[in-house]
Amino acid sequence: MTWRNVRIIFAREIRDQLRDRRTIFMVAVLPVLLYPLLGLSFFQIAQFMGERPSRILVIGAREPLDPPLFENNRFCEIFFATPGEARLLELMFFREEPETHVAPTMPDGWEALAKEAITSQDFDAVLVFPPGFAGELARFREEIRRQLAAHSPSDSQNPLHVRSENIAPESLEESSNRNEISDGKGQPVIVARSAIPSPQIYYSSAQERSQTAYNRLHRVLEQWRTQVMIANLAAAQLPPEAARPFRLEIADVSAGTALQGAAIWAKIFPILLVVWSLTGSFYPAVDLCAGEKERGTLETLLSSPASRKEIVLGKLAAITLFSMATAVLNLVSMGLTGWLAFGNLPQFSAPPLSSILWLGLALVPTSAAFSCLALGIAAFARSTKEGQYYLMPLLFVTLPLVGLPMARGLELDLGTSLIPITGLVLLLKTLIEGQIAEALRFVAPVAAVTLGGCLLMLRWSVQQFNREQVLFRESERFDVTAWLRYATRRRPVPTPALAVLCGVSILLIRFVLTQSLARTSLTLSFMEQALITQLVVVLLPMVIMTWLFVDNPGETLLLRWPRWRHVLGAALLAVVLCPAFTTFKLWVTKLYPVDPAIAEYLKQLSPGVPDWPTLLFVMALVPAVCEELTFRGYLLSGFQSGLRSLEAVVYSAVFFGLTHALMQQSVVAFVAGLLLGMLALRTRSLYPCVVYHALHNGLGLALGSITAEFYRQHPWLESLANWTEDGLMFRGPIVAAGILAAGLIVSWMIPPWANRPATEDDGD
Amino acid sequence: MCSVVVENLAKHYDDLRRGRIVALEGLSFVARPGEVFGLLGPNGAGKTTTLRILATLLKPTSGRAVVNGFDCLTQPDEVRRSIGFMSVNTAVYDRMTAWEMVEYFGLLYGLPRDVLHARMEELFNRLRMWEIRDVLGAKMSTGMKQKVSVARALIHDPPVLIFDEPTAGLDVLVARALLKTIGELRDHGKCVIFSTHIMREAEKLCDRIAILYRGKILAAGTLPELREKYCENDLEELFFRLITQVESEGRQSEARSEKNGRQVDHGDNAGADDDAERESVAIERPT
Repeated sequence: MTWRNVRIIFAREIRDQLRDRRTIFMVAVLPVLLYPLLGLSFFQIAQFMGERPSRILVIGAREPLDPPLFENNRFCEIFFATPGEARLLELMFFREEPETHVAPTMPDGWEALAKEAITSQDFDAVLVFPPGFAGELARFREEIRRQLAAHSPSDSQNPLHVRSENIAPESLEESSNRNEISDGKGQPVIVARSAIPSPQIYYSSAQERSQTAYNRLHRVLEQWRTQVMIANLAAAQLPPEAARPFRLEIADVSAGTALQGAAIWAKIFPILLVVWSLTGSFYPAVDLCAGEKERGTLETLLSSPASRKEIVLGKLAAITLFSMATAVLNLVSMGLTGWLAFGNLPQFSAPPLSSILWLGLALVPTSAAFSCLALGIAAFARSTKEGQYYLMPLLFVTLPLVGLPMARGLELDLGTSLIPITGLVLLLKTLIEGQIAEALRFVAPVAAVTLGGCLLMLRWSVQQFNREQVLFRESERFDVTAWLRYATRRRPVPTPALAVLCGVSILLIRFVLTQSLARTSLTLSFMEQALITQLVVVLLPMVIMTWLFVDNPGETLLLRWPRWRHVLGAALLAVVLCPAFTTFKLWVTKLYPVDPAIAEYLKQLSPGVPDWPTLLFVMALVPAVCEELTFRGYLLSGFQSGLRSLEAVVYSAVFFGLTHALMQQSVVAFVAGLLLGMLALRTRSLYPCVVYHALHNGLGLALGSITAEFYRQHPWLESLANWTEDGLMFRGPIVAAGILAAGLIVSWMIPPWANRPATEDDGD
Repeated sequence: MCSVVVENLAKHYDDLRRGRIVALEGLSFVARPGEVFGLLGPNGAGKTTTLRILATLLKPTSGRAVVNGFDCLTQPDEVRRSIGFMSVNTAVYDRMTAWEMVEYFGLLYGLPRDVLHARMEELFNRLRMWEIRDVLGAKMSTGMKQKVSVARALIHDPPVLIFDEPTAGLDVLVARALLKTIGELRDHGKCVIFSTHIMREAEKLCDRIAILYRGKILAAGTLPELREKYCENDLEELFFRLITQVESEGRQSEARSEKNGRQVDHGDNAGADDDAERESVAIERPT
């Protein structure tokens, strides 16, 4: 490979893209215009929305209220911050004599009227005052005054205790009648008997306008209720401060500093960076790969001395540059627009300069990673049209990784930093928020994951460029029947596509079964559920697909009589790797703690006192047989028929992991799946895998059942493991010795001249 | 010394509709410097597949192809440096001018800039391309594009030139000029591999011809040799006789195997395409 060729290809692709109107529009014109236009239209729409008054129908407000709520057929202006706001609530009073139309004394009558008024869209909300509301309100205040007069001459030194349910400003709805109670110290306590019925607001949350009307109405009534409260306090000869004797002082220490502005940008910038570097890489990638294929220039390029790797790297560099340019232009344009539009608000103040530095640093790996991904996908596509179809699914996969950490307020830690994209976004957010020291601790894992992802994607792209069926896929007419006939033709062993179909069926059946079991009233014990899951979810799809499509089930499911050495070796492996797997399980649960609610639910599900033979049968033997037949049998053989052996092992392990319900279980199962896959690959028989799997599960159950008491009663356990709150924790040397022993066992099982599997110590 | 040696070349691949396809089977031929070697065959005979293997775009399933002393499978980079490849599928870039396009490939061939520009000027003179020097590929006619492709294939002065149906879609004048250029290349000592389904071109240009049908060579040799061997002066008639012979043999063997109750595994590799091929042959037949 020569860098000169990479440079030549890079320069050409850049020039080519700069001559393409669509790319220039996507990369440069769109971002520069988009945000100012968005900002402009936002203000236009906001004005438009703000100007629109809400129409309120008021029923039952015949008597004057004290303090007054209405003046000149509007709400009083004192309840609004500006006089203009009062005009946003247009009131229409229900003037008819109620008896002639409906019967307002009956709640049903109001309700029907109010519902009709809203559903017919004549009004946005309806405010109903029950009959006698004003009178009851006045009477309540009079009662306070009267009782006060009765008590005050003799007890002027003592403060009065006024208890009333209706003073609490928080709830309009609450109203109750409580009888007088004494505070037990002989103090006179006035309990104003509140018989005031509740005024009612009718609105429809399904209508935007009605929702707005409700919000405005509610604000006004809250203000008015405060006024009522002040009047009542005055009647009790108390100052208004009696209800709110102190204020809460709130001080934002970041106010006025650059960090305050950083908070909002820390949320927006990383998302924008990811979304735009992805989009910015995708369009050039599709044009440079699928487009070249479509226009027939790819064959010209491939017949030149430039190697596939040089072509990929040259194109990748060009795509990365465009991706970075798109992201930068979008961020600058968005930042400038935001600053111009909201710059006067303190929470939108200019982001700190350091954030620009962090964004710049993060830009390169982000763009490179997405460019690799886009390049691989674009190389796979036959035409630009096909390529563009892949953008949407890609965004759907990527956006949750970007959005979820923001939505759920996820924090940067070792667990989250190891999730691709999510880790990068969180790291950036933490950096922009100014928590540099905190962020720097996780730079290494995030960088490792991102760079690893880049390299994987790059390899995949080069692979795409080396695959004839991908490069010379002609846009032939797609014929569903021909394809189905081809795909489902009986073969000695399944194809990778059938293996994927089997894996996906398992996941779908599991989903459907879990959901429908949760809905039915059928109560199944944990054992029954476990058994059904194994038989219906894991075994059934494999059996059907083997019966339908496979000519040679023995070859597919590796039902070959094993060597005794392999079976014994597998059993020994399960024992010596037990400490490593137990430690790994604990480590995973520490890193990604199980949601407490789920943990509680699982605890409820788990079998109480185990009946050991049944437990071992259902939880160890049945899963070992069913899962091995499906994952190491059908899926592994299927993947192996079209892919490299190691890839086949990885893919079968991925499906094995995904089949487990909990993410923590999935991670452990994935690693165990790798080990079992290698075992199947090397021994060419399923039986050692079954033996390993059954023992692995059985030992896990046995260890799980060990209690603190048991641990204390058996002192020899102490030399192997510590007792912690999470259960048994094997000592480091034991784990290491186990892994070492596993290595020795593997080299004994598989003759020295055969290639040794590389994953025997995956357990740690 | 032979510039191109093909030994027992085979190419199989999977097809959605037709299952396993045998595109080439047991293909062998040699081509020497200073000669035009013609691959003559109907559409779908395997000409493009053969030439793509020679250009290292495809890997053979079995067999060997050696170009200018380099093995196509193990030394693909050296092979690509030694060839100029042009086919209906090697288009020119829409957003590049003729000059930029030729320069780009010259640079990829590793030519120093001064050598490259001298060579480009010579080629632009020879192919009379100066009027399209600054025309973008998208604005060029088919003939102009073909000129650019030829210039692109010749820029590094390779010893072996591979032309896959280079006259397809060209008008008579341009096609004639192109054939003349190819003739000149042979006179300059280049080894030219030339595929076509047009008999007249083959007759006129090729020193030796291999008749390719369903991935196999039916006959090979110089034109006089072929005429003598099959006692047929007209190449077109000769071509038809060979193909008809193969077809009737194929049918007989099918009938035989059916009679014996055996499954026809091969189906002669082209199943669904049989009709298409017959049709394309029929179109060429003079009435």
